[in-house]
Amino acid sequence: MTAEGLTGRLLRVDLSTGKIAVEAIPEDVARSFLGGRGLGAYYFDREIKPGIDPLGLQNKLIFSCGPLLGTMVPGGNKVCVTFKSPLTGTYSYSLCGGHWGPELKTAGYDALVVEGVSKYPVYLFIDDESVSICPADHIWGQLIPETDSALRGEIGDPFVKVACIGPAGERLNRMACITADCYREFGRGGAGAVMGAKKLKALVIRGSRGVIVKEPGKIASISEKMVKDLKRHVTVQARHSYGTPEMVEEINYLGFWSTRNFSTGQFNDAGKLSGKAMKKEIVQGDSSCFSCPVACGKRSAINSASYGRVELEGPEFETIGLLGANCGVSQWEYIVQAAKICDSYGMDTMSSGAVVAMIMEAFEKGRISEEQLDGLRPRFGDGSVMVELLQRIGDRKGIGDLLAEGLQASAGQLGISDLAMHVKGLPLATYDPRGCKGMALTYGTSPKGAHHMVSPTMGLELAGNRFSVEGKGLLVRKTQQHMALVDSLSLCSSMRFVLNLEGQLQILEAATGLVLSEEEALRIGDRIINLERMCNVRMGFDRRHDVLPRRFLEEPLPEGLSGGQVVEMDDLLNDYYSVMGWDERGIPTPEKLKTLDLAT
Amino acid sequence: MSQIKIINVAFRRCVGCRLCEQWCSYSHDGKANPAMARIKVLRDLESSGDIPMVCHQCATPLCLNKCPAGALYRDNKTGAIRLDRGACLGCGLCVEACPHGGVGVDSGGYPLICDLCDGKPQCVTHCPVGALSFLRRDLVDRVVKADVARKSGGEGY
Repeated sequence: MTAEGLTGRLLRVDLSTGKIAVEAIPEDVARSFLGGRGLGAYYFDREIKPGIDPLGLQNKLIFSCGPLLGTMVPGGNKVCVTFKSPLTGTYSYSLCGGHWGPELKTAGYDALVVEGVSKYPVYLFIDDESVSICPADHIWGQLIPETDSALRGEIGDPFVKVACIGPAGERLNRMACITADCYREFGRGGAGAVMGAKKLKALVIRGSRGVIVKEPGKIASISEKMVKDLKRHVTVQARHSYGTPEMVEEINYLGFWSTRNFSTGQFNDAGKLSGKAMKKEIVQGDSSCFSCPVACGKRSAINSASYGRVELEGPEFETIGLLGANCGVSQWEYIVQAAKICDSYGMDTMSSGAVVAMIMEAFEKGRISEEQLDGLRPRFGDGSVMVELLQRIGDRKGIGDLLAEGLQASAGQLGISDLAMHVKGLPLATYDPRGCKGMALTYGTSPKGAHHMVSPTMGLELAGNRFSVEGKGLLVRKTQQHMALVDSLSLCSSMRFVLNLEGQLQILEAATGLVLSEEEALRIGDRIINLERMCNVRMGFDRRHDVLPRRFLEEPLPEGLSGGQVVEMDDLLNDYYSVMGWDERGIPTPEKLKTLDLAT
Repeated sequence: MSQIKIINVAFRRCVGCRLCEQWCSYSHDGKANPAMARIKVLRDLESSGDIPMVCHQCATPLCLNKCPAGALYRDNKTGAIRLDRGACLGCGLCVEACPHGGVGVDSGGYPLICDLCDGKPQCVTHCPVGALSFLRRDLVDRVVKADVARKSGGEGY
């Protein structure tokens, strides 16, 4: 691989020994895995052994950049972190937009591997070639915004980019995020707890090298055209105006919006939570990631009688789904305050919201008592109790201490596992899988548990038959392949509105000189998916863990345009495994692995 | 002098994408590197705003007045403040003097000042949200007034 587009350099930091080293990434790796998520899979497979404790000495945080990260290409800002998840025990990766990833790349690195455990709190300062491990006792315990601000002040440069953990990560909350630029998260799977276990408070970067591409002129003209195309695209226009919450109305109309812990697919108060309502009630302005004209981020503020003035970036569609509809809450003041607590403590709004929804259902059904909940009486629709529960989870106070262990673990302790809506320990996103069967398969077969962006098939399914099982194996496989490529190039998934695979490969060529046919590219996607799967297989995961909670298999959605639907899990899995070339237990066959040049 | 056009920043409109930094450095150096851009976007986290910082082509430029080496001069054609790099001492007084934070420093320690791209500023051309505009200095207040009026009085702004 030529030097363009990628730096070919990996920065390795061992917090146990304090050793800092730069390694060359083997030249053939880019051709096999591109970068970003693919590069993360490559290093996870080589370096993280199956039996390790996710919060122990041997877990690592593998940050990786793709060839388009930090370039002028719109959406080229998604950096990936790969790790063994303390929430699920599976392979996990998480992508983060904003400005931190581009700064890592422009400092001269394609990857940053953090390993070992520090004896005392530290932060890492990467200043191009100069890398130092600095004491962080003075900021340990601080919330995300205070940490970000303190570090920029301490370094004396307001332009440095900070990724950090909050109290949630420090306290090994298994839903903890790593937060960049205050409001962009490596959100799901508990990467923040891994960082907390390493006693690593923050990663601060200042880069000045720029990202070298093979054909700068071509990249510039592609960028120019993409910006124009994005501004013309109807869905992108909606994203620009209303952010991701533009999706609220449609999903609710179609009757598969996570409502009251997935007891139904329609939220009667959805109108109050639509993108338009949000814009009218709380949005103050727009916010963008690096190189992106879409600006789907919204700066919001609300004057609340209970909480005073609350300001934040967001809330996002998924946050509104899981802290709003899924908890039956429809008042902005509670949703905004709940999101603010999650953002400040550094914990995933989605997983945390799912925990609250489960507790609400369990309490309403008399499965847990007021005494078990420190005197709280959480019922669906009670926003103030939702906020209080999240505060206790953040502080690990009372019941919050148990709930910070995550949905699956706390449900087990409380004897309410049947009410825990997750796959492999990761709570579902806001699409009810009964109303969109490809999403059922997506949740089931994603390497990190019930995550939606591993293969977001909903858009494609709405154009066809979203309830049918037939063809969904192939659809999910193809979408997974395409997403693996987008994630490995470091492009934001929203760019797919204006950029198909052919377009992506043209940009790849202009950035790196690497020429790939669509067939070769899809093979890379397949390789990444199968390698991720094999990492999970080695950790003991198979078909048994790909199954959705019984609610989705046995309880039909009670009303609306998705009414009567359940998930036909076995049929879906059989179809998908056969399309993938996996055996009936969901394990890639040796022949399949051989065709992808992967070890068996 | 009144016909001189300047870069006007409507910082409330800025979304922080930093495409301006990329186009600035690309058009000057042939490669995009935000660290070498003459315009820089500061994310002010206290007020959650993004603030593009660039030379405003002041009528009485403090940078030029402070320069002990006479290395800064006004371009007669565009009105931009230009740098005579050969004469520059790299003392940094211009950086400190600018009330807009509009003077940057390159990797060699020399000032980075907007040259208005010879009358066609690329940051303005490529700002996707209209936060930057290239306006006659004597008319710039009209746009600001309109913006303020819309912000305070108009609905749905």
